[in-house]
Amino acid sequence: MTKIEYFPDEAASAAFMDSLGGYRNPSAVSPLKGAAAHEVAVGPVHAGVIEPGHFRFQCMGEDVYNLQIFLGYQHRGVESEIVEADGFTARQVALAETCAGDTSIAAATCFAEIMESVFPDRFAAPDAKAMSVRSCLLELERIANHVGDLGALAGDVAFLPTSSFCGRIRGDYLNMTALVCGNRFGRNAVVPGGTRVTIDSEKAAKLKSLVAAAKKDLDNALGLMFNEPTVVDRFSGTGTVTKETAAQIGLVGVARRASDEFGGDVLARAKVRRVEIDEAHEKISAILDALEAGRTPECLEAAKAPTMKPEGRFAVCVSTVQAWRGPLVHAALFGEGGKLLRYKIVDPSAFNWHGLAWALRGEQISNFPICNKSFNLSYCGTDR
Amino acid sequence: MLDAFAARLRQGFRTGAFPPAPPNLPPDFRGRPKLDAGMTRTDVESAAKECPSLGSLGFDEKGAFLDMGRCIFCGRCAKACPKISFTREYRLGVFRREDLVVRAGEGEYAPPEQSDPEALALRHSFLLREVSAGGCGACELDANVLGTLAWDFGRFGIRFAASPRHADAIYLTGPVSKNMQLALDKTYAAAPYPKFLIAAGACAISGGLYAQGKLPAVPSLFIPGCPPHPATTLDALLRFTGRRA
Repeated sequence: MTKIEYFPDEAASAAFMDSLGGYRNPSAVSPLKGAAAHEVAVGPVHAGVIEPGHFRFQCMGEDVYNLQIFLGYQHRGVESEIVEADGFTARQVALAETCAGDTSIAAATCFAEIMESVFPDRFAAPDAKAMSVRSCLLELERIANHVGDLGALAGDVAFLPTSSFCGRIRGDYLNMTALVCGNRFGRNAVVPGGTRVTIDSEKAAKLKSLVAAAKKDLDNALGLMFNEPTVVDRFSGTGTVTKETAAQIGLVGVARRASDEFGGDVLARAKVRRVEIDEAHEKISAILDALEAGRTPECLEAAKAPTMKPEGRFAVCVSTVQAWRGPLVHAALFGEGGKLLRYKIVDPSAFNWHGLAWALRGEQISNFPICNKSFNLSYCGTDR
Repeated sequence: MLDAFAARLRQGFRTGAFPPAPPNLPPDFRGRPKLDAGMTRTDVESAAKECPSLGSLGFDEKGAFLDMGRCIFCGRCAKACPKISFTREYRLGVFRREDLVVRAGEGEYAPPEQSDPEALALRHSFLLREVSAGGCGACELDANVLGTLAWDFGRFGIRFAASPRHADAIYLTGPVSKNMQLALDKTYAAAPYPKFLIAAGACAISGGLYAQGKLPAVPSLFIPGCPPHPATTLDALLRFTGRRA
């Protein structure tokens, strides 16, 4: 993966792009030599409704020898804006949420945990009720995204029933998130000190019935796809990243689990998503059952009293949330008087883009869509 | 094969009744904001302190205003100031930037009606080329969702085109980051005339929470929200081509 960001002036940026043979330089030559060597460039504007990135398929004949990924088109300075907004928590959390829109809830939770740990006087540790809402929203986010990806995978191999069903069912889960907080992406719900919304027993009952109905439709839609020989055949052995490679290049999250437990091909990444969907449902059911009965969910306790007290000149605080793609990490460096000096967001995608490049080695370009979809990495989360 | 038929029967026909039926909005949906007539400068200042999107709330010679082009519809200002409330009005798409500014004490809201013949000509076939330029991806996701069978905007002849050469409009999301400026300009230039620019989401309209790059043209349709609800987007697109009034 090559980043095209971090250049203060345009001339330096252009020179860097030219040195890489980036898209500004049409005469760039592929590193491969020979009659069969050729290079296919796509992006940053892609054919679908997706985020921008530039890909170079360096091919020998029909086979992709290497996939070079250029990112940085989405760089808009989320981290520096968060530092700039020091002391204005509402703006900071809104900025964190817009780092990657599909991971809004995880990002807000990461940010909130940092603030709660470093400023226990300003932000109380969230109570069990708030923790339940956060967990519930986080799992809904996970399910919605996994369902969307499985549907898109089906679409990419032209298996339209599951593609159509999942497209709609993903919306059902987004609407459940909206039922909790008014926004389909869970925006503005999680804040340092707790949540801005609650799930009372009536809402919990309503959610429970919605989850149950959607899960039934979902099981039907996914069962259809995973039992369809043409789909399974198309997914099997495509875009394989072995367990060893995954460990060597440091994959995380869904992609890592797929390589560790299921064989590392597109089918493996699809299976992981299905497993995680089921796990998320179990968690949500436990939480909603408890909330409906007015109990504290057993799987959750109120956040532990913060152990961190900034002393001396600097304090570094790192928080992590198991977001739907994998571990999302936020880190903050505070100076004297709790002044925020630096803020850093590491989306799990940052580790996994290299996995996508690796998965495509030896494949044909036509396998790129399903390989890409099976990872479904975040451009904006990586570029920040 | 038979399983697919059985699943199809089981899942049934699920395209929403909207439109013409009203959309199914969540109970806490925050739509067009409303500002009470008596809003003072002090009220605005106290509410603005809570507003994550700098410059959304203001006070000028005509009184208090809220700029929906910057608003992320978080509702924090309404909590800080009881003179601000968010209605359930989802029909937020407008054709002029100034129409996004909600004024204190405004009368009944009427969504705009299209009179531009070049836009009205697109009522049966409206092809959009989406350009994502520095946003968070949420606007893209909720634009994509219109193609699913739950919303099925293909019913109205609207769809996303793979190439700007086939597009009637460029559907822009994101604040236009530095690194997307050239690609956006080129994509807009590649679309044939007559062409429109649609700014969807707070980022594309004003930069939202971020600094905005340069738009290749003045947008002909503004769809506010962070991200806009699919019902808002679909209503705006239909209104733009005069299919909905």
